[in-house]
Order: sequence, then structure tokens, then C-alpha cells
Amino acid sequence: MIRLTRSVTFRLAVVCGVLIGGAVVLIGAIFYFGTVGVQLRNVDRKIGGISDRLVVYADRHALTDLAHRIDDALIDGIDSDTEIYFLADARGARLAGNIFLDRAQVPQKNGIFLARVLRNGKPSSARMDVRRLTDEAVLVVGRDMGDVDQIERQVWRSILIGGVLALVMAVLGSLLLRRLIEQRVHAIRHTAAEIGRGNLHERIPLSGADDEFSRLGKDINRMLDRIEQLMDGVRHVSNAIAHNLRTPLGAIRNQLEHALHGEAATSRFAETGRAAIGQIDALIVVLQKLLQIAEAESGTRRQPFEAVALRAVIEDMVEFYDAAAEQAGIELLAVVENEPAVFGDRHLIDSMLINLLDNAFKYAGNGARIEVRARATSGGVLLEVRDNGPGIAAIDRKRVLERFFRARHDVSGTGLGLPIVAAIASLHGAILRLEDASPGLCVGVLFPPIEAETFPNGNPPVSSRRN
Amino acid sequence: MRLLVIEDDLATARFVCAELRASSYEVECCEDVVEGLRRARDEHWDALVLDRMLGARDGLEVLQALRRAGKRTPVLILSALATLDERVRGLRAGGDDYLAKPFAPSELSARIEALLRRSAALDGARQLAIADLRLDLDSRRVERAGQAILLQPREFRLLEYFVRHRDQVVTRGMLLEAVWDYHFDPQTNVIDVQISRLRTKIDKGHALPLLHTLRGIGYLLSERRPDAAETRT
Repeated sequence: MIRLTRSVTFRLAVVCGVLIGGAVVLIGAIFYFGTVGVQLRNVDRKIGGISDRLVVYADRHALTDLAHRIDDALIDGIDSDTEIYFLADARGARLAGNIFLDRAQVPQKNGIFLARVLRNGKPSSARMDVRRLTDEAVLVVGRDMGDVDQIERQVWRSILIGGVLALVMAVLGSLLLRRLIEQRVHAIRHTAAEIGRGNLHERIPLSGADDEFSRLGKDINRMLDRIEQLMDGVRHVSNAIAHNLRTPLGAIRNQLEHALHGEAATSRFAETGRAAIGQIDALIVVLQKLLQIAEAESGTRRQPFEAVALRAVIEDMVEFYDAAAEQAGIELLAVVENEPAVFGDRHLIDSMLINLLDNAFKYAGNGARIEVRARATSGGVLLEVRDNGPGIAAIDRKRVLERFFRARHDVSGTGLGLPIVAAIASLHGAILRLEDASPGLCVGVLFPPIEAETFPNGNPPVSSRRN
Repeated sequence: MRLLVIEDDLATARFVCAELRASSYEVECCEDVVEGLRRARDEHWDALVLDRMLGARDGLEVLQALRRAGKRTPVLILSALATLDERVRGLRAGGDDYLAKPFAPSELSARIEALLRRSAALDGARQLAIADLRLDLDSRRVERAGQAILLQPREFRLLEYFVRHRDQVVTRGMLLEAVWDYHFDPQTNVIDVQISRLRTKIDKGHALPLLHTLRGIGYLLSERRPDAAETRT
């Protein structure tokens, strides 16, 4: 259990509580002013109106007439349960009315004031309008606010109850949310801990609902699948490397041992030594190729990517191989259409072509026809090396991309050429396809189309070779 | 010719020094980085052999310190870090050549020789010649004993490289890097065939062969025939 203040759900609950509280206050305020506020304004208007009329009357009549008129108003049965009148002369003596106000209770200024009064012998809160008449007489017209007060109390009570209820629900909701999230997070944390312990098969249980946590779980599970796959790959590769290095090392060791202890030791030793050096050189080649794969797979060479014009690369490469082709009676052709360019590393593309051409020379054999083709298509740039040799059986075509897999054992090799090509292709985001060229093999590398923004002037460079 | 080898691995150091002494260089070996840097800076050397990994320190720091001190001594970097990136880093730090471990002793001495003679004589010349073979770098024309020889552009570069490195052993790796700018060894005999085609073009019909193959080592362009045991023409 993490500390409460650090918990995301707790903080969420606090924010929710504050927001709900704010909403309750806002709604309460609107409700209050919509009910009690309107009532008060009505009351003020009404008693103000009566006062105005009585003041006009007082201007034209004697104070006693006004007193009569107030007496009439008190018994006319209209608003008799709420109306309040009070008329006093300059000395403070009551001339008419149903309440009594002390001089001290009456404010000096005309206008609305509140006070507690005895009306019909009952204490009540009153809202009153006071007017000074000529001769220092005081006229007070008011309204008993008992009913309005009751409404006001009711409004306040409902706001309070509503607020408390909302807060309680916010807290309960947050606790529920917290429990829900903790349950789901717990599943993820449990899986993560299991994997941390080395149990790579563990996966996050999915609820089946398509909610955020399920989607997160699915994403994490997908990532774990990939990691497990990679780990398996690494394990497989380590085993393969161990096997492929151990076997020749053992052979070299045995030969040397035999030469040391054998009968005609000295005479055979030079020969054995030379053979051992040859075998060790072959091992060094294997290591270099493994490093090349590792380098391409680690993706660290993405940095120096640039636009590479394939025409120059291919023509140079074909020229490089043409003497060997001539000697082996191989017809080697380069067919480059519409100046294809890819975004990549020239040296790695060289390496790719060297591996593909080495393979074609080795397996298609003397007298074969080898074509290196490149063209820009709508789907990207397609680079192909096609031969008319025996090709690769369909069943082996996937496996030749595995490290150390060898489809044919009658020709020497490392079993690393095509894996290098595959690693370089994948570093370039290219798709590698091995197809039956009937007869022969066609290795196609489909590079993604080069983005327009790579070339500020809109045109790929014609050549990026430096010589 | 005085060479300084800065290498902290005793076995490698012994092997490198023995190989270079066998090629009759005067070789000093230094196993300590700080001492090595001091000696490289304060004494005169014709070339340095510097290991990339000197215990805790990166040999490239030594190299950069040396270059900052204004020393232009040619440096061959030895390294177990064989990737292209590391190679580029080594050359950018001021190295003149980069040799990945493990290497053949002949490769080491051939590259050292190339380093030592690199800035020597022929750099500015537009006309190169060996025996009766002449190259004109401006017109890209080649002739032997007055007869014109037709070469493809890459063959011309190859021959030019050989003539510039005449009487020096040149390895396949050096040719791949210098002439084709390839940093991956083809496993087929592509280079051998290129060389033998070039040899046919320049040597065929002439009494004195110039282009020699040193088996398991490399090639040599020379008027003198190398030791018979090593050649294969």
C-alpha cells in the first residue's frame, strides 16, 4: 500500500470532491437567489409601493386621516396575515398600526430594514420600509417574513443535505474507483513481478471488456510476446553460436593434439599448423558475420542514414564481380530503371549485395545467369538479385533466414549470408522475399518509398558514391 | 624507422613487436597509457601502433590528446571493436588506419609499411611509372613498352594504387577499402580474379612480370621477383 497522498486515485478523489463541492455551492447559490432572492425583491417592491402611495396621501391629508386609512387597510382582510403598518407622531406615540416600534428601533434613514417585532402579540421577523413624513412623523410599512424565512431555511437545509450527500457519494465513488483501479493495477503489477522473477510466460489476465485497462493489458501482453520471442531467439542463437564455434574449435584442438603426440610429429606439424590457421580464419569470418548481424539488428547504424542512389551502388558492385563472372562463365547483368534511391546506409547495402552475389555465384554455379535489378515502384524501391541456378526448395525458404541454417552441405559456407541480408533489410524497414524464379532463386528486397522531405529540393541525388 | 607500440595486453604486444622487428623496424613497446602518451608526444616516431582498449581508458582519448598536441605521426589503431561505426570513430579521432583484431601478422606489417610510405614520394605526380609501365593520371592512359593498354576505370584505380604502393605488400583488405570502398570481405575469389585479369592486361607478353601474388598474404607490384616460395603467378 502506497502512502495515501501519493496515490493517484486519492488525488483523483480529492479533486472530484472539490469539484462536486463547488458544483453544490454553485447550484445552491442559483437556487437560493432564484427562490428566496426573488421573494425578497417582490416583498420590497410591494411594501415600497404601499409606502409611496401612503406618503402621497399624507402630503394631501392630515396625519389622522392617514391613521384611519391604515386602520382600514388592517381590517380589509387583504394580506392580513402578513401585513405590518406602524404610524407614529413626532414624539414616538403610535397613531395607527399593528406593531409598536421604539424610536431607537427605527433607523434614521428612509429605506428597507429588518427587525424583530411583536405582531398581534406574536414575535416575528419583519422586513419594513421606513419613511419620514412632514412633522417628524414616521411611517413604517412592512411584511411579516415568517413564511419566507421558512422557505429560506428549507432552501439552506436542502443545500446542506445535498452537499453532504454529494460529498459522501464522491468519497464512496472515489473509494470504489480506487479499489477498481487497484485491482486492475494489481493484476499488471503481479504479472510484472512474475516476469521480473524470470517467469516469462506470465501474461496479464484480460477481463474481456474493451476498456482502458484491457487495452493496456493487451498492449503489454503483445510487448511481452515479442520479448519472449526475442529471448527465445537469443537463446536459440546462443546455442547455435556455441555449437558452430565449439565444433570447429574442438576439431582444431584435436588436430593440434594429434600432431603434437602423433608418431611423425615434426614433419606433420607445419601442415597441421597451416590447416589450423585456415580453420581459425574461417571462424573469424563467422564471428565477423555474427557481429554484422548484431550491428544491423541493434539498429545503432540508423543514425548515418542518407539517400543512396542504387544505380551507382549496383553498377560498382557488378563491375567488382565482373572479372569473377567472366572467369566462371557467368552472365552478370545490372538492370536499373528510373533512378531508384533508398534511405539507408550505403556500406550496409554494399554488404547486402556482396552477400547476395556471393550466394548466387556459389549456388547457381558456372555458366549461370545472374541479374541484379532495381526499380522504383509505387510501393517502394525493389532491389532484386535473380539467378537461374537450382534455387531453394520451398520448404527451406523460410529457414535459410535462420542463423547457421544451411540448405546445402555440398558447398562450404557459414549459414550467415542470408541472415545478414535479412538483418540489414529489416534495419532499413525493407521487406525481404525469397521467390522461386523457376528455375533459380529471386531474392527481392522492397525498400519503403523514400520520404519527400528527405530531399529539400525534391530530387534524389543521382549518386552518393565518393569515387 | 622507429615505431612505438602502445598496447596493454602483453601477449598482443609481444606478438606485434616481434612481427614488426622481423620486418626490421626499430620497435619500442609501452604497456602504460600515460607513459605511452608522454613518449608519443615527446620523442620522434615514424609511426604509432595504438590499441583501442587500454585498460580503463579508450585509446582514442590518447590519440585525440596527441593530435591536440600537434603531433602528425601516422597512427595505426588496433581494435577488437570491428564494426563500421567503431572504425569510422577511430579514423575521425585522427587515426590513419584501423585494423580489427584478430589480424594476420602480414596484414599488420603491410599496413604499417603503407602508412610509412604513404606521404612519401609519388603523391603530387601526374605521371607514374614502374619499369616500362607508364600511367598518365590526367588522360587516364596506360602503356607498357610503348603499347597502349585498355583498362576499365576501376582497373585503372587498382593499378594506380599498386603503382603508388610499389614494392610494398598490399593485402586484399587494403585493396577493398582503398579501391572499392568496401568494408566487407566477399567470400568468393572476386579480388583474386580482378587481380589476375589486371595481371593478364599488364604482364602478358612481357618478359618481366610486375604483379605478383603472395599466397595467403596479398599482392605485390615490383620489378623484383619476390621469394619464389611465396609467389604464384
